[in-house]
Amino acid sequence: MKVKPMRRWSWKDFWLITMVLPGAIWLLLIRYLPMLGVVIAFKDYKAQKPNTFWNNLMKSKWVGLKNFAFLKSPATVTMIRNTLLYNGVWIVLVLVLAVTLAVMMSELKNRFAAKAYQTMMFFPYFLSWVVASYFVLAFLDPTSGMIPSIQKSLGLKPTQFYMTTTWWPLILTISNLWKNVGYSSVLYLAAITGIDTTLYEAAAVDGATKRQQVWHVTLPGIRPMIVILLIMSVGKIFNADFGLFYNVPQNSGPLYPVTQVIDTYVYNTYANTHNLGMSAAAGLLQSVVGCVCIVITNGVVRRIDAESSLF
Amino acid sequence: MNKQQKNQVALNAFGPGAQALFHIVLGLFALACIVPFLFVIIISFTSEDSIRQIGYSFMPLSWSTQAYSYVFQLGDALWRSYFNSFLITVVGTVLSVAICVLYSYPLYRKDFKYRNFFNFLSFFTMIFGGGLVPTFVVCKTLLGLSDNYAALIVPLLFSPFNVIVMRTFFQTTVPRELIEASTIDGAGEYRTLLQIVLPVVKPGIATIALLNALAFWNEWFLSLLYITKNMNVIPLQYLLMRMQRNADFLAKNSAMLGADAAQAARNLPSQSLKMALVVFIVVPIACAYPFFQRYVVAGLTVGSVKG
Amino acid sequence: MKKILSIVLALALLLTAMSFALAEELPTITIMFHGSNVTDDSAVLEAVNAYIADKVGAKLEVVWGTWGDFDDKATNALLSGDTGIDMVFTCSWSADEYNTYAKNGYFVKLDDLIAEYGADLVAAIPESLMQAATIEGAEGMGIYAVNGFKDTATQNTWDVNVTLLNELGYTLDDFKAMSFYDFGELFAKAKELKGDAFYPFLVEPMVLERMVTGSIIVAGDSGSTNLLSLYLNQDDVSAEGPEGNVILNKFATDEYRKFVDKMREYYEAGYVDPSLAVAETSNDTRTNTQKTGEYLIGTQSYAFGYEYSADVLDRGIEVAFVPCTDPYVDTTASQGAMVAISTASEHPVESFKFLALLNSDPTLMTLLNYGVEGIHYNLNADGLVEFTDERANYSPWTNGMGNVTILPDTAAEGAGFRESFKAYYAGAKAIPALGYVFDNAEVANEMAALGTVAAQYALALDAGALDPETTLPDFLAALDAAGMQTYLDAANAQLAAYLG
Repeated sequence: MKVKPMRRWSWKDFWLITMVLPGAIWLLLIRYLPMLGVVIAFKDYKAQKPNTFWNNLMKSKWVGLKNFAFLKSPATVTMIRNTLLYNGVWIVLVLVLAVTLAVMMSELKNRFAAKAYQTMMFFPYFLSWVVASYFVLAFLDPTSGMIPSIQKSLGLKPTQFYMTTTWWPLILTISNLWKNVGYSSVLYLAAITGIDTTLYEAAAVDGATKRQQVWHVTLPGIRPMIVILLIMSVGKIFNADFGLFYNVPQNSGPLYPVTQVIDTYVYNTYANTHNLGMSAAAGLLQSVVGCVCIVITNGVVRRIDAESSLF
Repeated sequence: MNKQQKNQVALNAFGPGAQALFHIVLGLFALACIVPFLFVIIISFTSEDSIRQIGYSFMPLSWSTQAYSYVFQLGDALWRSYFNSFLITVVGTVLSVAICVLYSYPLYRKDFKYRNFFNFLSFFTMIFGGGLVPTFVVCKTLLGLSDNYAALIVPLLFSPFNVIVMRTFFQTTVPRELIEASTIDGAGEYRTLLQIVLPVVKPGIATIALLNALAFWNEWFLSLLYITKNMNVIPLQYLLMRMQRNADFLAKNSAMLGADAAQAARNLPSQSLKMALVVFIVVPIACAYPFFQRYVVAGLTVGSVKG
Repeated sequence: MKKILSIVLALALLLTAMSFALAEELPTITIMFHGSNVTDDSAVLEAVNAYIADKVGAKLEVVWGTWGDFDDKATNALLSGDTGIDMVFTCSWSADEYNTYAKNGYFVKLDDLIAEYGADLVAAIPESLMQAATIEGAEGMGIYAVNGFKDTATQNTWDVNVTLLNELGYTLDDFKAMSFYDFGELFAKAKELKGDAFYPFLVEPMVLERMVTGSIIVAGDSGSTNLLSLYLNQDDVSAEGPEGNVILNKFATDEYRKFVDKMREYYEAGYVDPSLAVAETSNDTRTNTQKTGEYLIGTQSYAFGYEYSADVLDRGIEVAFVPCTDPYVDTTASQGAMVAISTASEHPVESFKFLALLNSDPTLMTLLNYGVEGIHYNLNADGLVEFTDERANYSPWTNGMGNVTILPDTAAEGAGFRESFKAYYAGAKAIPALGYVFDNAEVANEMAALGTVAAQYALALDAGALDPETTLPDFLAALDAAGMQTYLDAANAQLAAYLG
């Protein structure tokens, strides 16, 4: 009757495996098989005879770390600093704001209003950065933009927004929050919805005020979601949102000191050189750093709260 | 009963002051979210002259419905791609939600022997990828994903991010005792999932379905990669992106193309036309949103006005 | 189970039988073009296939690349060894850059095929274009693509609003006597007449820089912002430039400093729209303003016959293009539009026969370019081409297809247009370094770093939006730190070797 310490294979495992099978097959074919291509990062990829992809992959010359040499550029420090700094600050800001908004929405008495707010908050997610950049342009355009126009009518010298770096950390931050907070808050709201109602009733019976209920029931209830989303965004800390940094500043050169991030640098470089090896190397580098970050964060989380950790 | 409920309301809700504050904060943020879309609608009705003279503006010099009449002139191409967008989104969402739920449920089951293995199998692909060209080769030559609907659906069917989110929903909303009880009852694994677990985790499924539907609806890059000859299967989003990319390309290469670029640029659609297409793209998915939201908001008031 | 198996087996047999039947048919060859706007090619392809069946021995399929998609689609097809694409557009400025892709083994060396099947092709295309396509590729010195015969020389011109110029009290001859450094008085008067929101100087800053300083693009240099420059002898383009045949860092020259100082003056005076200084808005602004005719002087890379195009005629003003030099043949222009055969192709011979025919046979060229007579165009009483409304569904990019000189004249261009076109470019002289292509493989990392630095400063400086006094020294220092000298040395060593 007692289960043996070494669990044996059972029919239950069989049925559960059939469940993961469609996804697993997809992963093997569409994600794992192409991973063989990672070697491009270490090769001088060229067409061989006969010219088929796998043959080219096998026979191209190994070049060691030559494709990573783009990192020797003086721009490297700037772009890495920008990527890490923006992402680091935004992870915290998005988390705090999204959770706050989700809690507020869940606490609204007016259900109709809650629905309306929630729907509206999702709208930025429908608009691409290209479209959003027109919106920013409507405010900042040197000739017809709203802010320079106001400055002119007040007799001030209009700010050349696309030529001066001063305001861009703020503009980028606002743009990013505008786009991502609503989306994340929907995830948190769904998690709040799933919290067992009896927990609130019990807390109320114990005389907890509403604020205490949020603190002691709601937040612990969505902690797993917070932690998971946090770990995942930390894993992407080396990857920047390309459209935000490229389209919103209109790829304006003089702004590079505050807008150049790894993704835009690789894109601009690839547009100049069309070097497949270099872009493969940059991608690999982002993956490795992301992996290290995730393992560290996950380790920290597991020490504090094993149940919430990713693996 | 009635009295008791009233009592509960008083206990469970924030006071009127706090409620008002919430409305102000949420209202302002929601407004900030919706204004750019209104802006897009305004541009779509702005005359070309006005755009040339004062750029994009909330208050154009003159209005015009020319962009919309031009959109309707696209005729078959427009309705065809509209239909494709719907088809791809519906089929893609149903399949991907099924795959996602089936994949994440065993990962939530602590008694699944290979839990860690499959968890890692999915998670690892979030961090590492093979890159564009190798994936293209596998999909096109090995799987035959080229010039067909499958090419626009299959590469997006699975998202490790959604699997993790879904697994977290299972963890936070499905008590483990529920599973234990049902397995002791001798219910099959599939029956447990379908009849006992799924009803509990509806908000999670609705959320995942929304994320998937959005991903399929907004997708255009797959069309760029895999559709070369059969333009009958392209979605609306790609139609729009193609115009956008044509304009970008001509702008960047005008020095090289010289007079050719100027000629080609002449045939490009206007800004207002692009915005009109954005409106066409956003409206259906925005209308579908409340459908998903019903499940998410169904239990929204748990903390406050119960019942 | 058995039943299913037998059905599958039967199906498999049927498929094999069908594929045998198909094998008897002609092979299909596929060509990928750039920049087309084609929604219905069925009538054209039907006619083309009937026409080429005997002559080429294959059926043609076309992938109509659009401006924005071509780069991704072409590089994906080539890098992945796609057998589905036999022929592909290439040139010195597209992503599947001719010299690089030929060197890396993606294009078939055509010399043997030309010797065997290319007599008509050789007769139809000028010798100079064959030479321009002859490069050191993966299989040694040879021709790796069929070079299209189009506007084969570069010529930058001032795009002058003559209507406004006359209003200001100047004639076109007055203007022709002026240089860039004298434009100030014109701009001041225009601004006075048209008001503060009017920007008289509508330029492509990078092109303007070349027009004023006489610098020439070096093929193989960083794509979006050129770093290297040869200098043109502006009086005789075929002679050595003022500095000799040496490649310079164009931003470090005195000429450049003089140019940006003047541009800064024009910009500060409000003669230049600030949007022109921002990468993503620069060209949108220029094209849109050009359409309205709201400018005094612009810049335009010119091609013969451009003044007759609808683009210019619709501006509502009288436009004149005033060249700042004679047309000159450089590597960039002479490798401006080509078609190569992919080494992954299973039908290189048929593909070549097709390309040879396309570039030498007016019937095929006209069919593929202008469509089917009676559907896409009609011939008028003078035998000139007049397009029908159907042309909107079938408009390939003419210059991207090949030999445009064998096309019939259109009614818009007038009779004899093609002959004058040919004569115009036949008279163009070559620069001394024609054919030189910088092989950047050894300095790819320097190029990447330098490209970023240049993108940060060059456009804004050229447009006058940055103050040269403070930013030019920073720019030059940043270029030095990114390895400019190494890059220059590599380019000059290669140039010296090329010129012998």
